[in-house]
Amino acid sequence: MSPVLAVRDYSLDYITRGGTQRVLQDVTLSIDSGEVLGLVGESGSGKTSLAWAIMRHLPGNAREAPGGSLRLGDTDLRAASNKALETIRGRRMSMVFQDPSTALNPTLSIGRQVSEVLVRHRGLSEKEAWRAATEALEHVDLRDPAGLMKRYPHEASGGEKQRVVIATAFACRPELIVFDEPTTALDVITGARILELFGRLRTETGVAALYISHDLALVARVADRVAILEKGRIVEEAPADRIFSTPAHEYTRRLVAAVPRPGHRLVADQAQPQELLRAEGIAVRYQRKRLFHAAPPPATDHVSLDVRRGEILGIVGESGSGKSSIARALTGIADYEGGITLDGKAIGSARAMNRAYRKAVQIVFQHPDSSLNPRQTVADILARPLRLYGGDVATIPALLEEVRLPASFAARYPHQLSGGEKQRVAIARAFAAKPELVICDEITAPLDVSVQASVVELLLRLREANGTAYLFITHDLNLVQQVAHRIVVMRQGEIVDLLDMAMLRRGEIHSYTRELIAASPTPVG
Amino acid sequence: MTFAWLLRRFFTVLYTLLVVSILVFGLTQILPADAAVTLLGENATPDALAAVRLRLGLGDPAWLQYWHWLSGLLQGDFGTSMRTSQPVGPAMFTALGRSLMLGAASLILMLVIAVPLGIWAALHRGKAADVVSGLVSCLGVSLPEFVTATLLLIVVADRFQLLPATGYVAPSEDLTDSVRHLIMPVVTVSLIMIAHVSRMVRSEAIDVLNSDYIRAARLKGLPPRIVLWRHVLRNALLPTITIVALDVGYLLGGIIVVEEIFAIPGIGRALIVAITSRDLPSIQAGAVIMAATYAITNTLADIAYVLIDRRIRYD
Amino acid sequence: MTDVLHRLLRTPQGVLGLALLLVLVLACLLGGALAPYSPETMDFAGRFAPPGTKHWFGADQLGRDVLSRLLIGARSTIPLAVAATFSGAAVGACIGTLSAYLGGRWDEAITRTIDAVMAIPHLLLALILVSTLGKGSTNAALAIAISVAPSMARVTRSVALAVRQQDYVKAAIARGEGGGWIVLREMLPNVAAPVIIEATIRVAFAVMLFATLSFLGLGAQPPASEWGLMVSEARRFMHQAPWIIVAPALAIAATAICFNLLGDGLRDALNPRDER
Repeated sequence: MSPVLAVRDYSLDYITRGGTQRVLQDVTLSIDSGEVLGLVGESGSGKTSLAWAIMRHLPGNAREAPGGSLRLGDTDLRAASNKALETIRGRRMSMVFQDPSTALNPTLSIGRQVSEVLVRHRGLSEKEAWRAATEALEHVDLRDPAGLMKRYPHEASGGEKQRVVIATAFACRPELIVFDEPTTALDVITGARILELFGRLRTETGVAALYISHDLALVARVADRVAILEKGRIVEEAPADRIFSTPAHEYTRRLVAAVPRPGHRLVADQAQPQELLRAEGIAVRYQRKRLFHAAPPPATDHVSLDVRRGEILGIVGESGSGKSSIARALTGIADYEGGITLDGKAIGSARAMNRAYRKAVQIVFQHPDSSLNPRQTVADILARPLRLYGGDVATIPALLEEVRLPASFAARYPHQLSGGEKQRVAIARAFAAKPELVICDEITAPLDVSVQASVVELLLRLREANGTAYLFITHDLNLVQQVAHRIVVMRQGEIVDLLDMAMLRRGEIHSYTRELIAASPTPVG
Repeated sequence: MTFAWLLRRFFTVLYTLLVVSILVFGLTQILPADAAVTLLGENATPDALAAVRLRLGLGDPAWLQYWHWLSGLLQGDFGTSMRTSQPVGPAMFTALGRSLMLGAASLILMLVIAVPLGIWAALHRGKAADVVSGLVSCLGVSLPEFVTATLLLIVVADRFQLLPATGYVAPSEDLTDSVRHLIMPVVTVSLIMIAHVSRMVRSEAIDVLNSDYIRAARLKGLPPRIVLWRHVLRNALLPTITIVALDVGYLLGGIIVVEEIFAIPGIGRALIVAITSRDLPSIQAGAVIMAATYAITNTLADIAYVLIDRRIRYD
Repeated sequence: MTDVLHRLLRTPQGVLGLALLLVLVLACLLGGALAPYSPETMDFAGRFAPPGTKHWFGADQLGRDVLSRLLIGARSTIPLAVAATFSGAAVGACIGTLSAYLGGRWDEAITRTIDAVMAIPHLLLALILVSTLGKGSTNAALAIAISVAPSMARVTRSVALAVRQQDYVKAAIARGEGGGWIVLREMLPNVAAPVIIEATIRVAFAVMLFATLSFLGLGAQPPASEWGLMVSEARRFMHQAPWIIVAPALAIAATAICFNLLGDGLRDALNPRDER
């Protein structure tokens, strides 16, 4: 029996102002009915382009090389006319997108967007389609499907919207569904639930699926076979349970090594017992109390924590947990109620943070694109903290070397650097002040896993050299277990759990923490 | 859309009118000319001048004069024209009616042409048709109304004698003739707006066409016709409401020039007459009325926007 | 600076806009020298002469050479409009940035007041100002500057608000930088680019407004050869000699087009990300 999807020797170029860029090179893969093939690649690997190529929705500057073929069952997709494709898409193959909040039309009701596929492809009347759509929503475990049909996308949560998108993709019982990083934009626990749903639906329907992601650990749990894509080439393909235990290709081995394994500890020492910073009863409010309204809930509700000298304190939580708000309060970016003590000296409020405090407590932000002023050179960016905190501007080359960047980068502008390089500059900026505590606010989240591993390695090296403590904020539980001495777990503005690694191993943890850990996929094998 | 929101919009409009009236009052107070002299002429006796000044309250401090004017306004009294000695209100509002007709016709013409043009240009982005329409739009926003009006007069009224050059005929008198007199003024006023709005619509439509949800709609296998009519148009047209509302300001400015050139007795013309003859009450009344038109139009646009777009919650 | 120029020349709008700008600048600077006749030279015998070898753009109702008047008139039309726009933009930009930085109630109060002032059509505001201050080019320019300021304040404010959200501003706050430093060194360089683009496009509008004021008799006064004034004076003779009107009208349009194109071109050229 022929495979549901057969890609053979497929190559793709993009024509840009800088020339022709080869994005996919001789890609060959196939998926049989009922099978899930995981496609793993970092940014720039071409994985999303392959998805667009299969769906026949490439951008205007794409050029497919002659000779390659894309077949859906018996149909040659490349030869299919536009009209033929309109009957294939949604009916025989469909797609689930990465960001559910942008994949749904904000001005149409949810019901409309689900039922229109059924009207189009199954020839149902509007009424019948609406009924079938409601059933489909119920089938993906949505509460109150009838009510949800009438609502608009902005009235549903991220998890609910993604279930709607999945229901739409499954609605016409396609042969193939392409999943483009469906859980990346969602919280850890919500994402785990979506994966459970995916598992159930695939067993029920026997659909063939192409599951694209950058997360090797996640894909290995979800797929039957895994293909690794590096710069447009498939470098390895293996059954999922073997990809972690016996990676064959060198790139795969690097990827596997970069994936955080909670059992693999990167920090061997213990923290010193002296307290460096203590925060008591920190409450951060973003909205003013308005007349005749009740006071809005604070982003962090009277949170207390302490960081010891040289310690790595991890803070984990989902979005809305308040972890970034703590970072803002501690650096004076947001106003807060409560008290902070640094080295025994009390700091009353954001205004009372003097130069000594600001020198000692530094922050690195999540988004490298917005944390560096695009109109300043790297040298300008690094010179400022040096001047403020008594450093010497001449040490800029040494500073760059410490973060493994060439000294010539000093003359560059941020837009001339990659995401990982920008993050290194941000780290260099923080260390220019010779701080005692560096707050890392989800700094590895937007990075590829291999870049993330090198940034973590850099942070640990800097800590060894300078004895700095870290407040390491992240949503990645596996990573935090590798590096933290103690872990704080936050949920909706409150601290739910505070544990050290010993407690974690013994299992003396809160149920929410347990849930988080269970939802974070770890490498198989 | 809550009552509180409506109330706040209402107070915003009031604040706007207050600021406008103070501003205009303040500006006209800088006038060195003596209003009494303007009224009675150079050769009036000092006693007569004094009497007039007393009657008009010209000796009072500025804020008191403003207060008198404002309290009169709140009672519906716009003051008396210094030029005609007639009450300002009725004349202004009659003139406003004519201008509203001109303005409404221009808006409708503009919407009928600019919106489809913008969407069509977006659908054919980068192709010859789009480039040409872009150049024509660029030209359109670069021609001041008096240039367009004058060129139209030369070609249409003078050379080819197709339409009457100037003047105004009320629709109640003779509808066809009224329309014939209004064609050129309406075209002149709407030209700049067509050029501007079509570019904005094009820009919005391009953003929508590139959005994730339109891509998702296409990948559901929906035919292009349905994608366009059901998915694209709603999202592209919504911001158009805001754009058009903001352009009403240019519309009102254009009306002033066009009424002057085509001799239409609307509020624009009345304002020019008032300004050149230093007729303060008329200037103030006309300015406030124009500002009110703009503010009310914007509020109506906001209401329409909220009614149509479920995303916005003004609580 | 040269870098900006290079990038500007890469776009078709930039090339066209710069070419037109060059022509206009030359006309302003060298108009007097380039003009074949003095703008005041009247030639009653050659009145209403159509465009030909003697008068490239024809002669007007007093026999004056239209081309010469156009060239000299550039100096009366353009520089004042440019100066008015940029000074109005500067004032507006300061107000807008300040409002964005202050935030809270101050921001709301300032914004509402700006919105209120903008409820008066630009032309009307300019007319009232000119009638108060007196006719003449300088007063017209002042009036234009005052009417440009509020809309520039709004644009600047929204740009400044977006910049204020960026992490590099937060990093500066975390460093304990003072308000002045943050506004001048962190925000302003990033606010400047969009504001300059917007201001350039407003010049087109200012030129048109200035010409309109002159047309209505409230801007430049005769015998100045300001282009709007030329159109106004030629209205009576449009049957006999349309070229007297068409030439200055096209000149105004060309100027407006020039600045619109430049603004469009600058939009790409000043964007730091668009290197590759």
